[in-house]
Amino acid sequence: MRPRWQIPRDCLLWLLSSVIIAIGLHLSHLPPWVAVAGVVAILWQVQVYRERWSQPGRLIKWTLAAISFGGLLLYYGRLTGLEPMVALLISAYVLKLLEIHHKRDALIAIYLAYLTIIIQSLFSQTIISTLLAFLALLPVTAALVAMYSDSEISRPSTALRKGLVMSLQAIPLMLVMFLVMPRIGSLWAVPRHNSASIGVSDSMSPGDLSSLGRSGDVAFRVEFAGPIPVQRDLYWRGLVFSGFDGRRWQQEGSWGYSDGGLLQWTSLPLETWDKVIVRRGDPLSYRVTMEATNSPWVFALSTPQSPSPDLALSRDFRLVNRIPVVSKFQYGVQSWLDYQLEPDSLSAWRRKVELAIPAGFNPRTVEIAQQWRRETPDPAALVNRLLGLFNQSFIYTLRPPRLGKHSVDEFLWETKRGFCEFYASSFVFFMRAAGVPARVVVGYQGGERHPTENYLLVHQYDAHAWAEIWIQGKGWLRVDPTAAVAPERIENNFADLFADQEGFLSESPFALERMRHVNWLNTLRLKLDSLDYSWAKWVLGYENVQNDFLLDLLGKLNPERIALFLLLAGGIALLPVLSMLYLNREKNTQDELDRLYLQFCVRLEKIGLGRKEGEGVRHFAQRVVELAPSLEEQVWSLSQLYEKARYAESDSVSAESILTDNVRKGDIAFFKAELKMFNPSAKAVNKGSFG
Amino acid sequence: MIKRWRDASKKRYRRWIDWRLPPVKKVVLDNPKLFILPTSAGFVFLGLLVLLWLIATNFENNLIFAFTFLLAALFIVSVFHTFLNLLGLQVEGGKTTAGFVGQFIEFELLLTQAGKRYRHSIELSCPGVDRLVVSLKGRELKPVYLAIPVLNRGWFTPERITLKSVYPLGLLKVWTYVKFDCSALVYPRPLDSPLPPQMPMGEGDTYINRGDGGEDFIGLEKYRPGESLRHVAWKQYAREQGLQTKHYADAIDDKFWLDWDALPGLDIEARLSRLCGWVLRCCESSQTYGLRLPGVELAPNSGRSHRDAVLRELALYSDNRDVGTEFSGAKSRADKG
Repeated sequence: MRPRWQIPRDCLLWLLSSVIIAIGLHLSHLPPWVAVAGVVAILWQVQVYRERWSQPGRLIKWTLAAISFGGLLLYYGRLTGLEPMVALLISAYVLKLLEIHHKRDALIAIYLAYLTIIIQSLFSQTIISTLLAFLALLPVTAALVAMYSDSEISRPSTALRKGLVMSLQAIPLMLVMFLVMPRIGSLWAVPRHNSASIGVSDSMSPGDLSSLGRSGDVAFRVEFAGPIPVQRDLYWRGLVFSGFDGRRWQQEGSWGYSDGGLLQWTSLPLETWDKVIVRRGDPLSYRVTMEATNSPWVFALSTPQSPSPDLALSRDFRLVNRIPVVSKFQYGVQSWLDYQLEPDSLSAWRRKVELAIPAGFNPRTVEIAQQWRRETPDPAALVNRLLGLFNQSFIYTLRPPRLGKHSVDEFLWETKRGFCEFYASSFVFFMRAAGVPARVVVGYQGGERHPTENYLLVHQYDAHAWAEIWIQGKGWLRVDPTAAVAPERIENNFADLFADQEGFLSESPFALERMRHVNWLNTLRLKLDSLDYSWAKWVLGYENVQNDFLLDLLGKLNPERIALFLLLAGGIALLPVLSMLYLNREKNTQDELDRLYLQFCVRLEKIGLGRKEGEGVRHFAQRVVELAPSLEEQVWSLSQLYEKARYAESDSVSAESILTDNVRKGDIAFFKAELKMFNPSAKAVNKGSFG
Repeated sequence: MIKRWRDASKKRYRRWIDWRLPPVKKVVLDNPKLFILPTSAGFVFLGLLVLLWLIATNFENNLIFAFTFLLAALFIVSVFHTFLNLLGLQVEGGKTTAGFVGQFIEFELLLTQAGKRYRHSIELSCPGVDRLVVSLKGRELKPVYLAIPVLNRGWFTPERITLKSVYPLGLLKVWTYVKFDCSALVYPRPLDSPLPPQMPMGEGDTYINRGDGGEDFIGLEKYRPGESLRHVAWKQYAREQGLQTKHYADAIDDKFWLDWDALPGLDIEARLSRLCGWVLRCCESSQTYGLRLPGVELAPNSGRSHRDAVLRELALYSDNRDVGTEFSGAKSRADKG
């Protein structure tokens, strides 16, 4: 019987280390017992290696497989979707460790380790986790190297070093491929990372946005083609809420339009409703890099248009993405800040939607609104009157009091303290009650200008809600009631306003944001942020800049240029490896010796002592010494060194030849040193016949 | 049909290899001699790359692209590393020993290198031989012995030896074939059978060198390791004439002729096998013996060189003494060596 194949010790060591790391990387989205199973499998494999335990039998293995399959099904309730599939993969990987009988099994485990570590990028894409994943790949490569190494002449560190060297040599080549290889876009729908949405959500009730005000996370970053517009123009429109149930605002009635599709895709012909948008002047160009929100809506200044094929303009004039934004996402936008939306008419059904107020809520507000409308029939004047009220006696705060059933009544006439959503909500309710079509808009307002890089940082605490009212002949107009209460909120940076208020950033206790007043910490925060931004722009969203970048680099994009670039850059990227090949070539010592001796002859020839054809080394030396006795010592010693080095040479392989090889190298070095000092002059030659 | 085509292409490949890598005494493996292709594990790895590429494309995830390209680059880099594991390796055919049909011939290979690198897990294989794995630790001379089973008597030239290596990642295999210009003598399969009855000699006394035993001193010979110290001529040694042994001999009367004609009715190989068995028997019992084959006669003698000469005749015996230029060619080569 053939002896059972045993995995090399170093290979096992690295394989198990990579299992630990791989599971560690996935820990945040794995059921904890998968990690426990991983540890058990590792211990078991170690015991098998030490021949303490035997490998689990078929029955145990299949039972374990069934248990983990059932466990995952119970844990997730489904097996479709990204997390269950990844968890399934990891459990399979862990179970594979229990049945390493052949080299093939070990190879499968190693390849699965590569796969598991790499797909962690589906879950986390920060610089840190990417670096960790890169480091985690090293033990896997080391395991592969150890599998094929001779364990008698290598140690675990040898395999790791080899793996590291190869990985480092691979990096330049990887960069070239990364830059040039085309991204062709999704081939088919894939299950997406499934988690709660971050940032503004698809509904708004009192207190939602003030809780965002406690988070210092970045929502998105914007790089403008020109200068950054003033703060009060930066209303990042995200969602439009027309439906109100007394407590909660949400999107409503978007399917009732009869003038074309709901979404205007860039690649499709213009919908008929495009003509209701009046765009004036030159557009503002900018590029937004969004953090993951797990929601499809994206943010832009009104009124936007995007060249990106993934984005569409919706009927309520905001941008939406084809799929939820589950990872960092980049898009370019053009916005006309001078615009009119639906100035001519609002369809009857739409007017009804924008005027609807739930029955039985806020009776006092309804009554007052109707009274005010009678006193002030002009909508613009009505708006000013209400804003004037806000300005007089309202307080803008991150810690508003809780509201009961009649939230608008309580807020407007009793508490008078609130965050932006309170103002927007009650303003719109009031306007609707007064018979002016109005709706709530949610998004972000303002942003922090990066002091050194030309981009704007929009944080979660910049989340904002404002209102839009519709006036015949003017269309939808933006009204921000918050601006009436706290104009500095709109004019300045939010953080400057709230930095001292209790509650600000209370959900990010360790955020560097809290240390804005410490100068160097603030600088550090901004430096880190610009690093993160470059990461997002150049790595995570590279496909957005790839075309421009390659155009800049190559001047023109055609197959020949790209091929040429690939060849050149690939060649340069391979230089470290090729140099290794070159350096490996053994210097031919024989040639070197002859070359040195030839130099010796040339120097003698210069003073008229040429070597005859076929003249032996010894004879030549004798002749030279006869004619130039002053050179005797040097000539003899050089000739003897040459002979010694030459004589030691052996054409065949033998132990002695290897032993003497070093001696010979020493002789050659010695010859070289002596030759340096050998500068015979013509004076040394006795006049006489020579040659 | 397909099998025939495959056989034909195999033959063509062999011919091409023969032409490309002719037999040598010593070879330094350089670029043109080495072949490199992905292993099956390498193809699976490429499959993994395709899978990763699909994941990256479908999830539009640039980090997975980056890692996929990293692994692809690792594959490309490993081409050079794999190549390097054999590049510059020097292989020399060493000593071969003679053997008997049905046994193994030990074929020595000497591996060495000019550089100082470690070369891991080089696999040597030869048809019919268990593969050997050797590693070189820097500059060293590594002898490797291949035990090749032999089935036919006469001159045996080893098949092409394949040197293969998949180190470091096992994704690619680099290999070469080395055909060594050396041969070993294969003696007939010895068949143990009782010695033939003694034949009358009638040639008078002949002194036969027997080394040990015997009564009459016949001379001194250079000491050979293994000889009994009892016979060392210490007097000569003291005179600084080196170690010599005294040799004695008996007047021989037990001369043996191992005769082809003593085995009538058997075919050639059976006769040679029996003769071979007798030779070994005689050697065991330190018997003196001579050999008579059609057209060949070796006078009775004993000792190792005699044994070798006799076995050699048996190994190379053929009906027609002039047949086979190949044989005589091989023989002349061997004679030189």
